[in-house]
Formats: sequence, structure tokens, C-alpha cells
Amino acid sequence: MSDEGIGAYLNPAQMAKLNRLALNSRYVVEGTLAGRHRSAQKGASTEFADHRSYMPGDDLKRIDWKVLGRTDKYFIRRYQDETNLRVYLLVDRSGSMNYSSGQHKTKFNYACTLAAAIGYVVLKARDAVGMYIYGEKMDAALPCKNSFNELNNALKILQGYKPAKGTAGADVMHQIAETINRRAMVVIISDLLDNQPEIIKAIAHFRKNLHDVIVFHTLDPVELSLDIKRGAEFEDLETGERMIADPRAMAKEYKDLMATFIEDYRKSCSEMKVDYRLVKTDEPVDTFVRAYLEERKRMSR
Amino acid sequence: MLVFANPAFLWALTAAAIPLMLHMFQRRKTVVTPFPTLRFLKAAQKRSSSRIRFENFLLWLLRTLLLLVIVFAFAIPVLRSTTGASWLTRTRRDVAIILDASYSMNYEMDRGKVWDICKDAAAGVVGGLLPDDRVCVYVAADSPIPVIEKPTTEHATVIQAIRSLTCQPGTSKMDETIGLALRTLEQQDGRREREVYVMTDGQAVPWQGFRDAAKQDEKAADKKTAISREQRDKISFFTLLAGASQPDNACPSDVKVSPLLLLAGQPARLSVRVAHTGPAKPISVGLEIDGEERGRRGITSEPNAESSLEFAIGGLEPGIHIAKITTPKDALPEDDSFLFLLRVRKQLPALIVGPQEATRYLKAALAPGAADDSIKHIEAAELESLDLRDFQAVFLCDVFPLSGQAVMRVEEYAKTGGVVIVFPGDRADTSAYADMKILPAQPKGSIDVPVEQAARSLKRIPNQKGQVVNFNLSLPPGTVPSVALKRVLTFGALEESAAVLVTAGDDVPFMLGRAVGRGRVFMFGIAANRDWSTFPLTAFFLPVVHQLIRQGAGASVQPPHLAMGSNIPVNEAVPNYREDDVIASPSGAPLSIKDGGNRTFVIENLAEPGIYTRAKPSGQPEPVMAVNTDRFESQLAPVTPEDLAQWTGFKRLLTAKDPEELNRLIDEFRNGRSLAEIFLWVALLLSLLEWWFANRVLRTKAGAIDKLKVDLAGKVVTS
Repeated sequence: MSDEGIGAYLNPAQMAKLNRLALNSRYVVEGTLAGRHRSAQKGASTEFADHRSYMPGDDLKRIDWKVLGRTDKYFIRRYQDETNLRVYLLVDRSGSMNYSSGQHKTKFNYACTLAAAIGYVVLKARDAVGMYIYGEKMDAALPCKNSFNELNNALKILQGYKPAKGTAGADVMHQIAETINRRAMVVIISDLLDNQPEIIKAIAHFRKNLHDVIVFHTLDPVELSLDIKRGAEFEDLETGERMIADPRAMAKEYKDLMATFIEDYRKSCSEMKVDYRLVKTDEPVDTFVRAYLEERKRMSR
Repeated sequence: MLVFANPAFLWALTAAAIPLMLHMFQRRKTVVTPFPTLRFLKAAQKRSSSRIRFENFLLWLLRTLLLLVIVFAFAIPVLRSTTGASWLTRTRRDVAIILDASYSMNYEMDRGKVWDICKDAAAGVVGGLLPDDRVCVYVAADSPIPVIEKPTTEHATVIQAIRSLTCQPGTSKMDETIGLALRTLEQQDGRREREVYVMTDGQAVPWQGFRDAAKQDEKAADKKTAISREQRDKISFFTLLAGASQPDNACPSDVKVSPLLLLAGQPARLSVRVAHTGPAKPISVGLEIDGEERGRRGITSEPNAESSLEFAIGGLEPGIHIAKITTPKDALPEDDSFLFLLRVRKQLPALIVGPQEATRYLKAALAPGAADDSIKHIEAAELESLDLRDFQAVFLCDVFPLSGQAVMRVEEYAKTGGVVIVFPGDRADTSAYADMKILPAQPKGSIDVPVEQAARSLKRIPNQKGQVVNFNLSLPPGTVPSVALKRVLTFGALEESAAVLVTAGDDVPFMLGRAVGRGRVFMFGIAANRDWSTFPLTAFFLPVVHQLIRQGAGASVQPPHLAMGSNIPVNEAVPNYREDDVIASPSGAPLSIKDGGNRTFVIENLAEPGIYTRAKPSGQPEPVMAVNTDRFESQLAPVTPEDLAQWTGFKRLLTAKDPEELNRLIDEFRNGRSLAEIFLWVALLLSLLEWWFANRVLRTKAGAIDKLKVDLAGKVVTS
């Protein structure tokens, strides 16, 4: 197996697990190709959408003769269009993503693997996947393609990046929101350790543009529990600031703060109809993706 | 006062700084750990800083305290009882040892007799004294017995004297003995520490004096027990309460014989009281007369209560019988038997004094056919030379005026328990009675009763409150008590302890009575013959006269048993005592009887329980007294140290339950009490507390995040 591209993140067994899964959008999307997702456009599928008054130039075979017989007016029958899904993966490589409590991957590594898994699932469903990599700034913007080669190349590029020093998540997200001009699915893979109101505003920006947004809030288990047995001098991964603390003594207060932090994101996402998921880096990616997609499929029925 | 036996170790107190130093040292040596959520750490630290500071302070305090306590423990702290105790171990002492010698000290315990335990403890106390210490020994008995009266430094002699002591059969008085011991200590020269050691079984009875005094105010209590307030405050008292905390004892405590006067062939009844200390149990009570068991009864006694039962005894032969009530042998065998005497008489001897014509009817009534030799008749002139003590009653019929010596004899006879019955007569005028001071009232004269007023019914005057002498006029059935009076005496004012017992009609005194000493004097208003009335001819003349004799016998009879004591009038204990009588105690020693003057004799000290005998010319000694120990001590009621402290008012009273505890108390008092062990226990407790507290800090507390549930698909649910 290659150590580059998708092979660096997913092994065949994992890929086999993900084979029959699909990432469906909960909203209408606008793709470039015909697909199995509902489009905002009216098209030529068999699913009736609505009627419209006849306009000169319309194809006569679309006139609904039964309606004409009842109302003496000309109406055109319109059908739901179906298109492919464009999924944009936003991978955070800010300084805080470079944290691992020791036993697991760093959050950035985990984010890359998760991006690979999602991309693989999307492509297997013949949809298109694109990728944005950002840290202190937008580092890479890879357009949506429905090709494994393109995904492989994108992942190679991602593999070449290391976590940055700082973060500018909110600004970059606004920038990306401006860039994606048609309704698509936006998957944010980040620890969201930035200015929380700004991040929420950025997510709202995506929703304003009618994108289907999924947030994978990626955190290390130790970040949640502060399960550190001895006191130490802690250094912030982004700012380099240091402080001496005994985590055992302040664990309760820390957990309360962390719970508030997560709950704020969860509530905000829920209000914006954004799918918010908390991902812990000690969980196998394939297991998580499979569980997530199956639940999403169950919810969309 | 707290001192240290190993003060050099106190240098280690500097170790108290170790926790602080370690804390400071630990802060400098930290490992840099990259962390992404430092802002949350900072906020958490800000929120918890005051709590963390407080917990850290507590932890530091605990650890410092733990080190301090350990250091103190190794420095061996010693707590002195008194401020001057540091030199107490070197000072000279005057010590008084008091041994309770009441018979309850013979109580048998698992470790032996309480008496032996106390003697050993006393010997141990003496053995533990320094060579310069002086010691005196007293035995608390009915009265204090000085064994070593003057404090001495010859400890070996004192120990030998203590070993040779024997328990007394009586009770004991602690207040008197302690008072005497304290006076002895007070009289010693030099500024010495004074200590009093009381070895007792811990029964409440010996402390009764203190208990009674405690009910009074302080000054009255000091006066009553002759122990000053200063002595109570300053002298150290050590008390060994070596007796059983829950004693078990049963004993016969009292016997009453009914009737008091036993005549040959007459059945009698014994009322026996059995005292019992301890839980309820069946008790078998036996009666022995002259060494032969005559009955046995079983009772189930209530816990710590007195029970009573009765024995019926058939007709006994005339004579003195030694009887005994027994209970089963128990831990205190000294009180398991109760001795008493049954004096059975064939007939009651009586003396009739007076001329033939005046005494004819009396003699006929008391000695019909002149066959009974127990009734003797003499003329008034013979009264001077006759010993009246052989008679239960003396009838004086028309004998006045009497010679001075005869009057004196009659008066002495009455005072020592005899009964004198006086009938007036025609020979005497009213002034003739004036010499006889024991009459219930002096006659004022006589009146002739008109024939039409002669018939009078006799009426018994009900007993008045406080009336000493009384007379129950019990007549044969169908008898109408009425007489025909011809002449009757009139009386002046009643003397002290006198009363009109029977009247003829409503207002004429017919019979008067008076208590004189232990005896009785009865006086009739009519003569003993039929010159003054028809009384000697009536059917109730004989019963009345017999009742008078019997009552007289009852008044003069000696009790069947006596309790030990001193200064007992001999005529209250020994019947028909003569100056030349020799009374022997149960051990055979002659009983000391002193002349109290005015022909009264007193037993100096009745100190030995058992049967006392009187030597007779025939050679066979005659039992005269049955003496028992006072059964107060048998009611075993252990006293508590709190009660003792309250009753005695001793400020420095230390009480021990056994000799080992006493030795420990003495050691602590003189040398102080080592607190090292306590400090080590405190150190252990502190270390456990520190371990718990430190680990409590280590234990992760549940925060709000623990309530968040994240499913496999990453969905967050708030519970």
C-alpha cells in the first residue's frame, strides 16, 4: 500500500468498511452533473415538482392537457431535477490541532484521516469533493472533482502540510463562504479553538449561502477530561503563553468550562440547522464515519 | 504542667518547615507541557484559585502538624498532675494508709478476698515509698484503730504490721478514721507532701458520715467530719475500691420472736427478714435450734431487696435455746447465719407484798391452792432484804408507808424493767405515798361512794398519741366489766409518762399506769380486797392481774438478739445481771462491764459476734446474749467515684478499681503521665487524614462535561 495520498490515511480494510456508505445532503444542492441528489433546478426526472403557466417557446409536450381540459388554461408540468453533490472539506491545521495526549494521533492527523474517509465515501457515491486547508490563512483551495485521482492528489497536498503556529479560522471560513457560489455541502473538520462568536458567525455565513454544513468538532480526550496526573508548566500551542498549574486541583472547573464551550457550539449549530458532531481522537475514524453516515441516512428517511 | 522527658528531640521541630520547603521546591521543577486549551486552564485556575489556596493551606497545615506531633511524641511529653509535680518525685512525703476493716471486706472475689487484696495494695504503696517518706496506718472499724499511729520511716515494720492485720467483724466509719489520720498528719513537723490512701471494698455504708455531712453546708460538713476545707482542697487522696462492682450476697438480717415472752408448751412464730444484694434468685433459709435443724423454707428474692418469711415453732422446753437462721454459703460467709436466743419460761414469778387480809384475793387468784411456788408472799418489812430481780411483777397491797430502803428497792426494780402494781389500803393516808416517786399520780385522798352510785362499769381509755404505757383490757367472753365501789382514791395531777388506763364510770380513775425507766408502775384506785370494792370478787379480776404480770414480763424481757456496739446498759442485754456475774465472750474472754454508778452497769464494747455466756456455780455456762454483726454492711451497695468525690468534697481524689490502676495513678501523680502514646495515635490519625485529604484532591471531581453524552456518531446529548 502506498504511503502517499489516501493510502497514507486509510487502509483497504477501512475503505472496504466505507464502500457502501453514502453522504446525502439534507437540502437541495446545485451540482454540475446529473446525480442522485435533489437539485434546486427543475429538470427531467420522473418526480413531479409543480405546474407553471405556459410561456411561448415551451415544449408543447410538457403541456398538461388534463388541466387544460378542466380550466381552459395552459400549464406546463415541471419535474424535479437531480444532480450530483459537491462536498467541500475544510481541514483546520491551526497550531492547536497539533495536540496529542500521547496515546492517539494529533488532532490534525485525525482531521486528515477523517477528510480522507469522507472524501472516499463521497467519491464512491459518484459525487464531487473539494478541499480547503487553512491555518493562519488559506493555505490551499482544491476545487470539487469527482475523481479518485484528484482526491489522492488533494490528500498528498494535505499530507505535505504541518500544523501552523496560529489560527485564523473565522476569517478563512468567511473567505471560503464567499468562494463557494452554488449550494453545496461544507464539512468543517476543526477543534474550533478560536474566537467562538466569530466561528459561529462564519458557520452562519455558510448557512446563509444555503450550504449544507457539517461540523466535526475534533478534540483529544484529554482536552475534555483534563486527565493529567501531575502538575506542569503548560504552554499554549498557538500563542506560546505559559502557566504553571495543577490540573488535578482545577479539573472540575476546567470541565465545566469545556462543557460550556461545547454546549455553546452545539446550541448554535442546532439553531442554524448545522449538523454538529463531537469527534474524539481516540475513536477509530472508520467506525465513527460509518456510525455517523448510517445515523444520517436514518434521520433523512 | 507539660514537660518533656527527651527534650533534645525538640530540635527536630525544625522539620515542620519541610512541607513548605518541599512545596516551594516542587514549584520550581516543572515540566513544560504543550496544551491547546490554555485559555480554559487559565479560566479554571482563576475560578478555583481561592479554593485551591485553601486546600493547599489545609494540606500544608496537616503535614506540618503531623511532623510536629511526631517530633513531640519522640520528645516524650509528660503531663504532671500538679504544678509542683516536677519536684514531687524528690520531695519527702507523709503518708497515711487507711484500711477498711468492715466485715464486707471478707467478700470473696476471683482474685481472693477483698481484704487480702487491699492489704497487698497497702503493702505495695508502702514498698513504693522513698526511704525518707513517713507512713502511718489506721484501720477503719466501728471506731478508728491506729495500727501505726506515729508516722515512721521504718517501712518494713509497717508492711509487717499491715500483713498481720485481721478484718473486723463490724462496720466501719471512714469519716472518723480519715479525720483522725489527717489530724495525725497535721501534727507532723516539716513541709512535706501529704497523701492519704484508703483501701476499701467500695461499699457506701462506711462513707455514710461523709454522705450525711454533704447534705449540709460546707462549714457544717467540715465540723461534722472534723476535716477542714483546706485539708479537703490540698491533701491528695487515693482510694482503692477493690470490691465487686456487681456483688451477690444473701443474709438473714433480722429475726422477731412472737410472742416476746415464751412460756413452756406455747407455740411461737419467727419473722425472718432476708436481705439480698444482686439479681433475683431462690434462697433457701434454714432454722436451727440447739444445733438441730427445725425447718427450712425457700424464697425467691427480688433483685436488691429484702424479703420476709415466717417459721412456726412448737412448744419448747423451759430453758434458754440457742437458735440460728442460716442462708446458703456465698461470697460473704460472715453474714450467712443469724443467732438469737429463745428464753422459755415455765411460769412467771410474782411477789405479793402486804398483810394477809389485803392480799388474800390476789394470792387466791395467782396461786390457787398455794401449789404454785412461782408466787411468793411477804410482809412489807421483808421488802428491804429481798432481791426483787427474780420476779416479773411485784404487787404492793396496802403496804404504805414503806421504809426509805424499801422504796429505793422498789424504784430501782421498776427502773430496771420490773412491774410494780400498787393497791391502796386503809392503813395509809395520802401523805404515806409521797415518798414513792414512781407512782403515776400522787393520791389526794379517798372518797366514800354512795350506795346508789356504787355500780360502775369499767372503761378502758383509748391510747392517746405519745402515750408510753398502755393496757389492753381483754376479758373472757360474756364478762361485763362492772364493779360496785365503796371507796376510791382520788389522784392529783398525772406524772410524766403516766396515763389513766381504766376508769370506773365516766370520770373516776380506776387504774393508772406509768413508764419508769424500762419498767412499768400500775396503781389502782381501790384496795386489793373487798373492803373498797367488789373488784376481787368479779370474774375479770383474775384476767386483769394476769395481763398485768404478762405485760410486765414483756417489758422487762431481754431481746432475743443484739447487734454489736458499745456502751450498752447491761440490764438491756443480760437478764438478772448481778455484780459478781462473769460474762464470757464467744472467744472465751471476759466481757468488760463497767459500773456506771447508781447501781447501773454498762457493757463497754460488744465487739464480737456469737453467743455470750454467764458462768454458773453448777459449772454449765448459761447463754445470755446472742450478738450479731450489724447487717448494714451486708447490703452491698458499691459507691461510684463520682459519689465519693461529691460526698467527701476532696478536690484531689483519685479513685482506682484495682491495685494495678492504683499503682498507675500513683505513678502518674508522682512522675506525670506520658503522652507519647497519645501523640503517636494522633500522628497516625493525622497521617490518615492527610492521606485521605491528599487523595481527595487527587480524585478527579465530576464536572459538567461528565454529564454530556457523546454517541458513536459524535452526537452530543445533554442529560
